[in-house]
Parts: sequence; structure tokens; C-alpha cells
Amino acid sequence: MITNPFDYAAPTSLSEALGLIADGAKPLAGGMSLIPMMKLRLASPEHLVDLGRLPELNYIRDEGGEIHIGASTTHYDIESSPLLRGKCPLLHETATCIGDIQVRNRGTIGGSIAHADPAADYPAALQALEAKIVLKSSSGERAVATAEFFLDTFTTALEPNEIVSEIIVPTEPGLTGTSYKKFYQPASGFAVVGVAARVRQEGGKFSLVRVGVTGYSGSSYRAVSVEEALLGKSANADSIKAAAAQVAEGRDANSDLHASAAYRGGLLVTYTIRALTSALERSS
Amino acid sequence: MQDPEVLAKAIPGCERLEKTGDDEYRLKMKMVLASLSGAFEGKVRLAEPAPPSSFRMIVEGSGKIGFMKGDGVLTLAARDGGTEVTYDGDAQVGGTMAAVGNRLIDTTAKLLIKRFFDKLAEESA
Amino acid sequence: MATTVTKIDKLVGKRVRRKEDPRLITGTATYVDDIVIPAMNHAAVVRSPHGAAKIKSIDISKAAELSGVVAVFVGADVLGVGTVPCGADLPGLRRPVHHILAQDRVYFVGHPVAVVVASNRYIAADGADLVEVEYEPVQAVTDVEKALADGAPAVHPEWPDNKAFTFSQTGGEPDKAFAEADVVLKQRIISQRLVPNPMETRGVVAEWRQAERALTIYTSTQVPHLARTILAGMLGLEENRVRVVAPEVGGGFGCKLNIYAEEALMGFIAMKTGRPVKWIESRRENFLTTIHGRGHVDYYEIAAKRDGTILGLRLKIIQDLGAYHQLLTPAIPTLSVLMMPGLYNFRNIQAEIIGTFTNCVPTDAYRGAGRPEATYGIERMVDILAAELNIDPAELRLKNFVSKDQFPFPTATGLNYDSGDYHATLNKALTEIGYTDLRKKQTEARAQGKLMGIGISTYGEICAFGPSPATPAGGWESATVKVEPSGKVTVLTGSSPHGQGEETTYAQIAADELGVPLDDIVVLHGDTSIVQYGIGTFGSRNTAVGGSALYYALQDIKEKMKKFGATLLDCDEVEFENGKCRDTKSGKEVSVGEIAGASYRAMKLPPGTDPGLVATKFWEPPNFTYPFGAHIIVSEVDRETGHIEILRYVAVDDIGNILNPLLVDGQLHGGAAQGLGQALWEQAVYDDNGQLVTGEFMDYAMPRARSMPWIESSHTCTPSPVNPLGVKGVGEAGTIGSTPAMVNSVIDALSPLGIRHVDMPLTPEKIWKIVAEAGA
Repeated sequence: MITNPFDYAAPTSLSEALGLIADGAKPLAGGMSLIPMMKLRLASPEHLVDLGRLPELNYIRDEGGEIHIGASTTHYDIESSPLLRGKCPLLHETATCIGDIQVRNRGTIGGSIAHADPAADYPAALQALEAKIVLKSSSGERAVATAEFFLDTFTTALEPNEIVSEIIVPTEPGLTGTSYKKFYQPASGFAVVGVAARVRQEGGKFSLVRVGVTGYSGSSYRAVSVEEALLGKSANADSIKAAAAQVAEGRDANSDLHASAAYRGGLLVTYTIRALTSALERSS
Repeated sequence: MQDPEVLAKAIPGCERLEKTGDDEYRLKMKMVLASLSGAFEGKVRLAEPAPPSSFRMIVEGSGKIGFMKGDGVLTLAARDGGTEVTYDGDAQVGGTMAAVGNRLIDTTAKLLIKRFFDKLAEESA
Repeated sequence: MATTVTKIDKLVGKRVRRKEDPRLITGTATYVDDIVIPAMNHAAVVRSPHGAAKIKSIDISKAAELSGVVAVFVGADVLGVGTVPCGADLPGLRRPVHHILAQDRVYFVGHPVAVVVASNRYIAADGADLVEVEYEPVQAVTDVEKALADGAPAVHPEWPDNKAFTFSQTGGEPDKAFAEADVVLKQRIISQRLVPNPMETRGVVAEWRQAERALTIYTSTQVPHLARTILAGMLGLEENRVRVVAPEVGGGFGCKLNIYAEEALMGFIAMKTGRPVKWIESRRENFLTTIHGRGHVDYYEIAAKRDGTILGLRLKIIQDLGAYHQLLTPAIPTLSVLMMPGLYNFRNIQAEIIGTFTNCVPTDAYRGAGRPEATYGIERMVDILAAELNIDPAELRLKNFVSKDQFPFPTATGLNYDSGDYHATLNKALTEIGYTDLRKKQTEARAQGKLMGIGISTYGEICAFGPSPATPAGGWESATVKVEPSGKVTVLTGSSPHGQGEETTYAQIAADELGVPLDDIVVLHGDTSIVQYGIGTFGSRNTAVGGSALYYALQDIKEKMKKFGATLLDCDEVEFENGKCRDTKSGKEVSVGEIAGASYRAMKLPPGTDPGLVATKFWEPPNFTYPFGAHIIVSEVDRETGHIEILRYVAVDDIGNILNPLLVDGQLHGGAAQGLGQALWEQAVYDDNGQLVTGEFMDYAMPRARSMPWIESSHTCTPSPVNPLGVKGVGEAGTIGSTPAMVNSVIDALSPLGIRHVDMPLTPEKIWKIVAEAGA
């Protein structure tokens, strides 16, 4: 279909872009979520600022202990980065699950997390990684922890004139095992449930457990009750099964044509077990 | 909640709320949810009142991006020095909004209802 | 004297690459949206957002004032245009009057209400948004059984019972059969509503030339000549001043075997505004307003003896027609009745159809059109019977098949199956898949708690429509063969392929018959000003009917060439072989090119022969054709998620002679994909208010390449005696065969849990719930 009329700017400097945003323009990243909404006239921003020509936002850098990723980095670049595959395999694996090839060629990590779709894939991984999100506006910059960034359905900590400028993930020591397991909605490919697990074991016991969940409820979250239930326990299938039972943490499950709340709850437990099991295998 | 000024501030995006009858209002609102935005015109009706503990609220609106009807029963109960609000209702959606993602209707409706009550709590405080 | 005869390899039967493909895969084909005419305007249609409503008022003033908007039309403006036709004729059929724009009421979401014409498509869309329609919604009904219940909202106020027609047919003595049966089993079986989703949506460009009173309509259609006749009638024009062109058409699957309101509407707009106009359907409009497929709630009863002999079948079809009749809407379920006995030899049937109105877009032909529903039904009932009697489902089928010496076989429903050997085909499939070992493997898997299933579907199908008395607009097909003065060949076919590949297969036939290179042959179709009247492409009829017309036209050409050859060679007896006419006595030869040149130069005409080398044939088929096959699918169900994994897929299809195995593979694979789509993923869901909830690809799940199993495809061949090519038609066979095999496989997997039937689509949640409730 056809969008409502709009103005389009494609600045080549970040400060110019931030200035336009401060004046009320809507940022356009990969457009994989925004443009379909505009074509259906569900979204009608009058001024678009294309962030795609800003080299300041497009990079993957090893900063020793941390990897800094520019917000305009595409899912394809994340998927194919040897640095990430080696030092942050969870993010690499998650990127491979997003959409399809065309979506991954254009979609960006910054745009995706700013949109905060309740069934997007990155939030689960970023929760498990305890990533930091850097937000920028024409008046300054601040960093926010993942848990404080994703607030609710399509709702983040972004103020109206801010954009996501950078995502910072930890470099994993070799003994960390990670896994992202996702149940695909058969039409859209979004996560009916998606679970990211990150574990370390020492002396046959879990020494680190992080579990990020997406798709299940209004927003992504860290399943802290599962993490606490596993820490210090024997690193085996029985512990995982017992801990995974708590993963829903009493939250309200989404319900739609493709998965009722009850089915989603069952899937969430199953996928939590599968993600933890796979992460555990990879940690030895 | 039967105070139209409070109601107007609580309904997300409400631009104008005009009383048209007993417990009935004409509503003009702009709904904004992430990038999704649209203007709606419609009605709000409070029915079966048994204040202060429960009543039914029906919101109907239509606009370019579609139309929606929310119909639910609100129950208020005193709890721990505050008020616990339970909402049990149904949202129907039509037009373009209905076509684009069945999954979003449920989550979006919940979000808007939650916003309404958070705002209401704020306004009544 | 010795002559070297160069033997040209025959092309029929070979995997010849398609002549169509280079332009398709380089993006240089011309689809209707590629057509640009000077001064062309664009149209955007305003559509009802309600499933059922009265129209209180329409205010077009803001739209008309928008700069760039040329005209706005509403229902009152188009009363002079004929109504959208239904070609099906059933006794007592109630026909709602279907204007090309809604009048005082709307009957389904998407019902066109107004149209905005503007200088470009962007302004047209903006203008459409400015049209203000005041609706008074009334209660809609979208579920067929709710529509038939007492007190249901009336879709059409004049028919409160929501019945468009009832139909019944009896064969043999069903009451007696059921009374004598040892076992009678009943089952409610749903063939759900589907969205055809061709890759190219619909689109129309209309151009009116006032001085000549001539209208040209470019439209993405499967039936250009039928469209010409009908649209001329609707617009009050002389048929010979209307030209319809089907440009490249990006798929139809039956949904473009139709005449749509927008086709006439664009003609009307072009005539009224004096400017060409284009309308291209968005994907969302396609979901909402292009016909849907299937839509059955079926009640089956099967009667049998304890030894497995099937005695009879009863079937009540509740057909979801939608709000209006499109071209063949009421006729489609009658095809289900015709095929209800499948491949089995029982003689007693009783069928009833209740055609029901709903506030949904109409249903009509979609790949298989009535036959997938029938095959699915009988194949489910045979499996249910097998389970009840504890007889192996393959054994039960073999026991009840029509045997190969019974052809032509008169069925209980009045058809004559042309040829077949059902036992051979099923046995081949069973051997291919290693059936006996597989059942052993299944027992072992079950002992380990795994849910593994083996599903069989033996399908028969009626296609290559067909004898004209039985086909609404005529069932013949036409071909003209022109050998040009240079010896190059042009074929004009009344077929209207839209992906099937007849530019290649027909060229193969002509190349073999005339002995000319494939590259020397051009096949033209789809333009009513170029091609003689034809019926078009649907019902797997191209090669069987269109190819036969071509074959006979080619024989006429050969006869004429021999006459000219004899004259050129100045002899009495000639042989025509390998593209050359040869004097049998002297061995001297002349080529097709030389003969063609001579026929047009006409220096010396053979006695009683006209100049030129052109032949036209209109060929009437004496019968339908009946392809058949056996599909076997092995699957496994994941207990924890309900996900279904396809482990193996063996398909043995008998489509008679095969002219191009490459194209046949394509048809069977694509057909299987659509059949699996129905079994596992697809469903058009309307809520009680008439909203199409699965209205975008976000919610309507299509098969993907990555979800398809490897199909082990092979064939048996019982040529059809119906046509000279011995072909049976293959376009729909794959779809018909695959759906029942998939469902039977999953239900077989769940049988240890005591499950007898599950309705499609077999979504993971449905399966998960069953497993969870069985406490397994």
C-alpha cells in the first residue's frame, strides 16, 4: 500500500541527525518494522531521518573485555562477524534467527531494540548478557542497563529526542556456554517464545546462570528465579528441569491465534530446558 | 472515575471528552503506541454502576487505522490501604489494525488498559 | 540411391528447459503493473471495514477536492453496469444481485464502496482516505453452522435462512447398503477456508478509444476470451470491439478463473473519464477480496462389512459460499460429490449439499476445486474404518480399489473413469517406502514412547474439463498453427497459461510433429485480438484439451504439406518425416521451409488446395481425464511442543503420458507444497464480526522452502484413451494427494493415544493439547 506523505532527510553526520530528531523527526534505521507500518498507514511520521549513512553508528569493536556495537550495525553484519562468533557467540546465534535474509540485510540492532517488539529476538540475548545500551541525544549521552531499557510492550527508556547509539556486550571467557532457542511463529517467524541461556560451571556445579526470555509476555525479562534456583546446584538435567519450572515467574502470558497463554507457558518451560541444556553442553 | 475531567486525563491520548448524557461521553483521542498512531472518535459509556465497587465501561472508537470496542467490568476492592483494580473485559478490533498482527491486539490492549489505570491512580491521588 | 536420413531427436518426453524462464528470471516479462499508457490515471478502491452494515451516507467532497483527483464514483454511478455474473446453474439457486460497487449495504469486509481516480497512485491512496462513509453496522455471521442455526443474522435480508441452494444426489441403494452393513462410522470433517495467494495479486488496466468505441482491458486473468464476452456484456459494448489481454500472469491457482467487479469497474472508469486507468491490488486487498478456496463442513458416514468391504458412503456438505456468487461459487461443491467414491468400487452413495451464505468474501475454484475436499474426506474415512476394523490401511485400500480390468469404470456418481491401475500404483509406493519394514520400525519407535506415523493417501481426480454439456462455458479448446513463409511456426492457443509452461510443451509437440527445431516455434496466448476464441486455463486442462486441439491442427498442417510437397517434387507419393517431405521413389526431399514458401508464393497450387499453410482446430473432449496416485508420508510428533516433523515423503503419481518431466516435477512439488500448506499451516480465519483475522502474511502461514521435505517422486503410466496424447493432466494432482497423506500420517502417529480424527490445520498447539490431554 501507500504511505501518507512525508519528508525524508539522510544526513551524513550524527550531530545533524540528532538535531533533526530534537526538532521532532522520526529516526529511520533499517525500516523493517517502520516502513510496513507506514505503508499500512498505521504510522504516519511527517519527517523521517535516515540513520543509515552515519559511519559513527556502524561498527563492531573489540575493546578488551567488552565488544562495542554501533546501533546501525545490521543483523547480517552481526551474524557474519568473526569477532562476535568467537567472543560473543550468543549474539551471533541470536542474529541468525531473525526474520529472513532480506530482513537481516537491512535490519539493525539499534532499530530493533528501540522498537521493543515483545517477540523480537535480541532482547532475550541482551538480558542474558546484561548488556549496556548507550543512548544519545543532541544534549548528551547516557548508558542504561538492559533490564532498565526494556520497560513494556513497544516501550523503552528512550526519551523522545534520544536514539540508541551503541550496544555493549561482554566478551565471554572461553568456558561460558551460551544458547538461544526459539519457537518460530509459522507465519511471521517471530518468537512465540525465545530463551537465551548463558552458563558457567565449576567443579560440576553452576557458577554463573543468566536466562533471558522474549515472546512470552509484554516485554523481555531475565528469569531471575531460574538463575537463583540453579546457582551452586549440580550442573545436570535434573537441576535444569526443576529450575525451569519457575521461568514464567507469574507473569501474564501473551495469547493470540498462534499460541494460547497455556500453550505458551508449556513452550516456555520446554525451551528454557532446551536452552540451558544446550548452553551447559557448550560450557564444558 | 465518574468525574469527566479525571477520565479525560486518564484515557491515553484523549484530546476531548464531552458529556452527552448520564454516564455517556463523546470521545476524541489520538492513540500513540511506539510508531503506531491514529486519531479516533467515539463514545465512552459507564454502565451497571454499583459504585464504589464495580461498573462496566464500554469504549468505542473509529478512525482511519481501524475501529475498536472495549467492553469490560471493573471491580475495585480495598486492599492494604489502597485500591486493587481488577479489569475483566474484551477488546474487538477491526480495520487495518486488525489485519496486522493478531498477536499485538492482546498485548496492546493490555498495555493501554494498564496505562489508563496508572494514569487514573495518578490523577486521583 | 542411398539417402542419409538425419534423425532428429523427439522432444516430447524430455526434460526440456522452459522457453518462458529467461524473461521471467531476468525481470523482463511484462505483467499488468508494467503496462504504462500515456495519460493513464490510477484508481484506489474504498472498501468496507465492516462485515455487515448499512451505508447511511457517503461524502466524497473532500476526496474530489484533493488536487490530482480526477473523479470519484460510488454505487449510484455504476447502476448502468451489469452485475458480476455467476455461471453456475443449479436448480433453485438464490442469486444475490451483485453490483460492482455496493449499493445500500455491505456484505463483507473489503466490499468495494467507492473508487477514487487520480493522476498517480499516491494521490489516489490519499483520496481514498478522504472518502467519508457513514456505516450502521449490523450483526454479521461468518461461521456456516452458526449461519444455519435458528435466529442467525441474515446475510441477505431477503433470505433469512442463509441458504443459497440445496442439492442432492443418490447412486445405487444407499439405504439398503447402510441397513446391511456390519459397521457404520460417522465423522465430521472440515476442509478449511484457504487464501490462494498467487505471487502476483490482481490488476487491471483499461483503455477506451471513443472514436472506435473500442475498449482494451489488460487483466491478470486465466480466461481472457470468457472475460471479453462477459465484460462486453456488462459494459454494453459489442464483443468484437472489446480486447482483453492477459499479460504475464504471476500465478492464479484458480482464483483468477473468474470475473471480478474491478475488471468491469476499470472499463467503466476508462469510458467515463476518457483516459486509461490502472488498478493494482495490494496484498491486503488480495487477502480480503480475491476469492478464497474450500470452506467445507462435511458430515461423512461410511458403511462396511466386517471383512473391510466398503458398501456405501453418505456425505452432507455444508458449503461456505461467502456473501455472493462469483463465477463458479455454487458449482464447486458439486465436484466434491462427483469424486466422493475416490478410487473405490462401491456402488451406493448419498450426497447432500447446503450452500450457505456468510459475511465473508466468496469462495470459488482453488487448486483442486472440490476434489481435494472429496479425496480428503474419503481417505480419512477409509483410515477411520481401517482403525475400527483393525485392518492395515494399505490392505483395506487394495481390497476396495476398482481393478484394472474394470475400465472405463462407471462410478456411482455418474462419471466414467478413463483408465487406471490403482493396485500397481499403491504397490509401487509401498515398495518405494519399504512399508513392511516401516511398520516394524514404527512398533519399535512406539515402544520407546515416540509418536511416529505413516499416512497413506490414494487419490483420484477428475480434470481436463471437459465435455461441453457438463462444463458451464464450454469445455473444448482451440489451436491455430501457422507455418510462415520462412518456415517458422507460430502457434496460437486458446489456453491461457500463467506459469504452467505451455509455451514449451506445445512447442515440443509441434516440433516433434513438424520436425522443426524447438527454437523455430513461438506459442502465443492470452490476447483476444490475436488468438481465436478459447476457453482458458483451469482444471488441469491445458495439455489434455489444448494440447489435443494443437495436435489435430498439426495433423491438418501435415496433410497440406504433403500435398504441396508432392506438387513440388512432382510425384504421387510422399512421406513426411523429420521435417522433410520425401518422394518415396526417387528419395528427393523438400524442407518445411521450401513447402511453406511455395504455399504462399502459390506458383503452382495442388489440385483442390488453397494457398497458405494455416490450420485451426476446435477440439471437443469426449470425457474428462482421471489422474490418480498414492502418496505416503512418514512423520514424527514432538510431544513437548506439538511440532510435526516430516521424515519421508514418497509420491507415485499416474498422469498418463508425460510430455516434459521437468514441468511435471514442478507441478507435483508445487502442488504438494500447497497441499501440505492446508494440512499443517494455512487457514483463513474470520471473527464473528466478519474481520479477517489472518489478513496478512504475519498471521497467514504459507509453506516455505525450508519447511518442505524431500519428495521422492516417481510414476506409473496408464495413458488416457480420451485424447491422442494419452495425457491426464497434472496441475492439481499433487495438492489433492498430499493433504490426506499428511493428516493420515499425524493421526496414525497419535493413534496410541486413542485419537481418531483431528481437523486441519494441524497446528502445533492443537497437537500439543491432544498429547497433554491424553496424559501421555
